[in-house]
Amino acid sequence: MSDLEHIDDDDSALAAEYVLRLLDAEAAAEVEARLVAEPALRARVAFWEAEFAPMAEALAPVAPPAALRSRLMAEIAGESAARTAPRGPARERPRRPTRDPAQRPWSWFVLPPLTAAAAAFALVFFTTGQIGPPPEPAFRAEIASEDGSLRIAAGLVHDDNSLRVVRAAGAAPAGRVLELWVIAEGAEAPVSLGVLPEEAESRLTLAPEIAALIPGGVLAVSDEPPGGSPTGAPTGTVRAVGPFSET
Amino acid sequence: MSDRETIEALIGRVSLGDRAAFAALYDATSGALFAVCLRVLKNRAEAEDTLQDVYLRIWNKAGRYAATGHSPMTWLITVARNLAIDRLRARRDGGVDLDAAGEIAESRPGPEAAAIAASEGRRIADCFDELPQDRAAAVRAAYLDGASYQFLAERHGVPLNTMRTWLRRSLIRLRECLSR
Repeated sequence: MSDLEHIDDDDSALAAEYVLRLLDAEAAAEVEARLVAEPALRARVAFWEAEFAPMAEALAPVAPPAALRSRLMAEIAGESAARTAPRGPARERPRRPTRDPAQRPWSWFVLPPLTAAAAAFALVFFTTGQIGPPPEPAFRAEIASEDGSLRIAAGLVHDDNSLRVVRAAGAAPAGRVLELWVIAEGAEAPVSLGVLPEEAESRLTLAPEIAALIPGGVLAVSDEPPGGSPTGAPTGTVRAVGPFSET
Repeated sequence: MSDRETIEALIGRVSLGDRAAFAALYDATSGALFAVCLRVLKNRAEAEDTLQDVYLRIWNKAGRYAATGHSPMTWLITVARNLAIDRLRARRDGGVDLDAAGEIAESRPGPEAAAIAASEGRRIADCFDELPQDRAAAVRAAYLDGASYQFLAERHGVPLNTMRTWLRRSLIRLRECLSR
């Protein structure tokens, strides 16, 4: 490569310091400004990134927790739905903020993995039409508690902003009720969709601004005191979580 | 298909929004990238949080991979390391935890060197051998542990500018060795 034939020691060292993150903020910003205009410096930075990376590759791999994978895939699914959803008000996707762990939306709960059994139930559930007569829901979520004892499916029908809910297995603990929540993409906190009545199949009518949170959002269910959470946020255990997908 | 071709193909599919490819990419590479985050941050919760950010960035930036000219693992590792160091530097104390720094290699890299030699990274391992041990360790600490000039200077008991000079000279020597 012609731009590396004459090796400028100062720039080589500078590029390495930049890659190693040894430069202070001002010096790093100067390098970044130069990178835009100087292909030779870009090549040096790329050179060092490539030469140093094997040090990291030689580290023994460490498996991250399974819950992290589930959270990640749910977040991806939410983003994908938001990208492809044609309806609803135009929503500007919020820029992901720098993570302050105290504000992390997922600190509310751990996402239980969707087991193979739960996934199979979901497939059967919707294709057998148990959710009721047409129209088909525009967005749906099928969630199950970690042990599979509580299984809920919900589908949003856009025409009337109604959420058809089927409690396929399980129930609220004695003396408590089940409350559904939607966590909109990028939101800090869940928003209530309402308390589930005792019937296995029900329909919740949503305010339009709440229905609008469902595309790209995540469904959750918690158990609450009778009448639902007194605070507007889940107070009881969150038993199941899962993303809404576009049907 | 070699490993490199497979990872590269997955990144390509991810850039088109292929979630199955993204899951496969995660399964193939998350162990390596989590190790990078853990080594920099030395804190499990922070490393987990960072790994989530890493893969979301990969999801969003996969379309830019091809333009970098990097091998797939170099690109993935660079993304992971940079986010981990961002997080490290954002800590209130701004840097390396001295108590946890027992992990920072004072002496030869050890078993990792063999692994490097076995992979494409033979050159840097050999070139490190040509440097004085403490200089090689300083470069490694900067790369793997996010050590700053301040930290390295304190650890070696020398003024900041002395450490800067030492390190720049070592990097120039590394460059000369790698270009042979």
